[in-house]
Amino acid sequence: MTAPLSLSDLDLPRRNGELVFDAPWQSTVFGLAAAVVDNAFGGDREPFRQQLIKAIAAEPARPYWESWTAALEALVETLPEQPAP
Amino acid sequence: MSEKGHHPAPPSPVEQRVAALEALLTERGLVPEGFIEEITRQYESEIGPLNGAKVVARAWVDPGYKERLLADGTAAIAELGFGGAEGDHMVVVENTPAVHNVIVCTLCSCYPWPVLGLPPSWYKDPPYRARMVREPRALLAEMGCPLPGDVEIRVWDSSAEVRYLVLPQRPPGTGEMTEADLAGLVTRDSMIGVARL
Repeated sequence: MTAPLSLSDLDLPRRNGELVFDAPWQSTVFGLAAAVVDNAFGGDREPFRQQLIKAIAAEPARPYWESWTAALEALVETLPEQPAP
Repeated sequence: MSEKGHHPAPPSPVEQRVAALEALLTERGLVPEGFIEEITRQYESEIGPLNGAKVVARAWVDPGYKERLLADGTAAIAELGFGGAEGDHMVVVENTPAVHNVIVCTLCSCYPWPVLGLPPSWYKDPPYRARMVREPRALLAEMGCPLPGDVEIRVWDSSAEVRYLVLPQRPPGTGEMTEADLAGLVTRDSMIGVARL
């Protein structure tokens, strides 16, 4: 049985000794993927998920957020070209 | 950057790639001002295992809620105000003296964000993703969760649609505790299924 924790200990996802993001570029690329899902795919996460599955399968030992970056790069490749406003 | 010691390290290749993505997507108008800061703040300070702990504690004290939670996880979790990305199709699986449930995503890192936040690094790593399916009993023991041989282990592989949450067993001797205090007992790992309470 785990020692009881106070509610304040539970407030941050970093409990259990783990930060959500290890470096600023990781939170940036997480947020960029969320922005693309929301604003280019109408909230549908599946196209990004398929790219992430491919990126992880291509290099299973690659660090996770680097695979995430590769997945987002591949997803962006599928977006239609838009003229700059 | 020829001087030594007083300059930050130059950006790594992956940092440069992320900066290029940010510039491109911003130019295309896909990244609203402040969006990244706001979503980072949410996952660093609001959306985390405390949400799941509140769901579990409610289920422990309210049999009607537990029934609704097991019948329609998404709706019952929404009753407590939790939902959103990666939480559209939530299924809650109940641990009993005879059955222990554990969640995994074999292909990538699917995880019930609204109730657990973002997954820990080990959840995303190849050994966990492969071994939890192949030899769950051995891996659980290595992770500090040995199970008696007569306890059935059910491994739930998150698919494109479904996100699972484990409802741990209420620890014995907690009959007098309040719902809020009970929530304080519930750990992230117990809701993934790699720990018992």
